[in-house]
Amino acid sequence: MGGGLFVCALQLTLVLAVCNSEPLISLRGITKRYQHAGQTLSVLNDVCLTVHAGESCAILGASGSGKSTLLAILGLLSAPDSGQHRFAGQDICTACPDQLAALRNRHIGFVFQNFNLMPRLTALDNVALPLTYRGVARNEARERAMVRLVQVGLADRAAHHPADLSGGQRQRVAIARALIGEPALILADEPTGSLDTGTASDIMDLLLSLNREYHTTLVVVTHDITIARHLQRQIHVEGGRVQAFAS
Amino acid sequence: MSALQVQRPADLLCEALVGLRTLGKRSLLALLGIVMGSASVIALINIGNNAASEAEALFKGMGVDTLVLRFSEQPRALDTVRLHEMLPQLRSIAPIAQASVSLVFRGQAVHASLVGSHAALADAMRLTLREGRFFSDFDQLATFAVVGHQLAQELSAGGVPLQVGDQVRVNNYLYQVLGILQDQPDGLLMPIRASASLFVPLPGMARLDGRAGMGEVVMRAAADQDMPLLASAVRQAIAHLHGGQDVNILIAQQMIEGMTRQSRTFSYLLMALAGVSLVAGGVGVMNVMVMNIAQRKREIGVRMALGARRRDIRYLFLLEALALTAIGALLGAVLGGVFAWGYSLLSGWRFSFAVSSLVLGMGSTLLVGLFFGLYPAMAAARLQPVEALREE
Ligand SMILES: Nc1ncnc2c1ncn2[C@@H]1O[C@H](COP(=O)(O)OP(=O)(O)OP(=O)(O)O)[C@@H](O)[C@H]1O
Ligand SMILES: [Mg+2]
Repeated sequence: MGGGLFVCALQLTLVLAVCNSEPLISLRGITKRYQHAGQTLSVLNDVCLTVHAGESCAILGASGSGKSTLLAILGLLSAPDSGQHRFAGQDICTACPDQLAALRNRHIGFVFQNFNLMPRLTALDNVALPLTYRGVARNEARERAMVRLVQVGLADRAAHHPADLSGGQRQRVAIARALIGEPALILADEPTGSLDTGTASDIMDLLLSLNREYHTTLVVVTHDITIARHLQRQIHVEGGRVQAFAS
Repeated sequence: MSALQVQRPADLLCEALVGLRTLGKRSLLALLGIVMGSASVIALINIGNNAASEAEALFKGMGVDTLVLRFSEQPRALDTVRLHEMLPQLRSIAPIAQASVSLVFRGQAVHASLVGSHAALADAMRLTLREGRFFSDFDQLATFAVVGHQLAQELSAGGVPLQVGDQVRVNNYLYQVLGILQDQPDGLLMPIRASASLFVPLPGMARLDGRAGMGEVVMRAAADQDMPLLASAVRQAIAHLHGGQDVNILIAQQMIEGMTRQSRTFSYLLMALAGVSLVAGGVGVMNVMVMNIAQRKREIGVRMALGARRRDIRYLFLLEALALTAIGALLGAVLGGVFAWGYSLLSGWRFSFAVSSLVLGMGSTLLVGLFFGLYPAMAAARLQPVEALREE
């Protein structure tokens, strides 16, 4: 009896250990093709990639190599044509659209090259938007949004509309919006692509500080090799395949 | 994962209204169709209702208990006593013979219609007298006459007013004026114009015009009779008395029913018209929403990336379509109400606003908005996030 109990407990610890060591993202044999003008364009071909929680990765590659396509798959915005995809302990291939939406809402924050803020909402309401899809009351969502705006140093711009903000400020608002759901993963597609060098390094510092201080997993698509050096891993996309290097 | 995300309705509405504001002028144009549709439904229902109640009120005043029987071949005589015995539900029975004559009073010659009848006519036609009295059953053979209001005025045109007791020459006979009628409207069923007629006892008619036959019988039913039933009883009795004589019987109820049916048909027609403008407005709403969604694809993609589910996107655009329609419906309700009120004013009707028209008008407009907003909203919800995001 006692022996059986011991074996049970051992198994439980083992299971827990496996759970703990499961990577945040795991791609196995992922392919993505596009049909265009009757031709099949294979963008990703048998891609395997593992990202652990708390890591920071840069995705590098030539233009048109499939970086954004890879990021969209990582962000559950696009379904691969084949392969296995696990994220946050869930099998993504079998999840329904609503489950994917919930996963995006709770675990992923997006930062885009062109900010993608809602032009009709104030900075505060832009930041609060993801929370309204969780059913958080407007006032509470605004309070929490304010905390994030303070964090990115834009407390005094809360009532501004995106059109009244500079490029760097817009990207800070977008980062605050990505942070508000306290995500495990931040995906950024050329977040500094539309910014001048000074502002760009400020934005990168902000993203890197989040990775350092809150252990938020960071995946950044970039063309800039100096930016990529600040991240722990570099993932090169080339000819439909990926290769990962450590810095 | 099991944690359900629920967007609060108030927030949804807020967002929909914010979205609407940016639609601007294009949405105003779409609104025009919706406003017209909603306004016409509400105006037409009200106008139809007011017209129907007005028509009914008109008829109600004319006595729903009257029957008018018209012979196809005029009989020499009608045994009213027998008829009364057979049909005690009849309160009064008055046969009528008509002729056209010229009257002379103090050298003044006037053309008039001569009506020969029984004493019962006064009750059957609800005639009231201004002066004197109507002739009675005992005056059957006397040369007594009762003068209609308008005819009395014409005869008084010479300067001397016609009075009870005066003598009026009809052809070669002198008739003594027994009474003068009050001015009152004729019922629509009535075969004669009381105001322009000279009433004399029926048996004396042959003296004045040998060819004048008994053309009609005016009857009035006792209280609380089923008029259609009574009409068929009268038809049977006449067939019995006059050997299969074919008669035509008019009752007010028939005409009221005919009139309401007609006004109902009219309002159906108007409703069809309203429906057409509503559908046109609905297509306008759909058009605006399709363009709106095409322009905001990127926004839809971003919302999906932030965690909006398909139904969140669907509700967002459905609500925008509904809010757009609701504004139009409200404007239309005001416009339609004002229009119906103006129409009643011009027609001299009493205006009453039917609450049902508001429910029906706004309700049908909102349904139209919902129906035509559904397709664009579902199309928006079915967009693939990455494709929507790629849109410029
Ligand atoms: N919806 C689509 N239909 C057809 N082809 C597509 C579609 N989306 C992407 N592609 C193709 O897939 C390839 C990879 O595109 P992707 O946007 O991932 O490149 P990228 O590496 O992000 O390039 P860049 O650095 O210029 O942003 C390109 O050749 C592109 O033309
Ligand atoms: Mg790209």
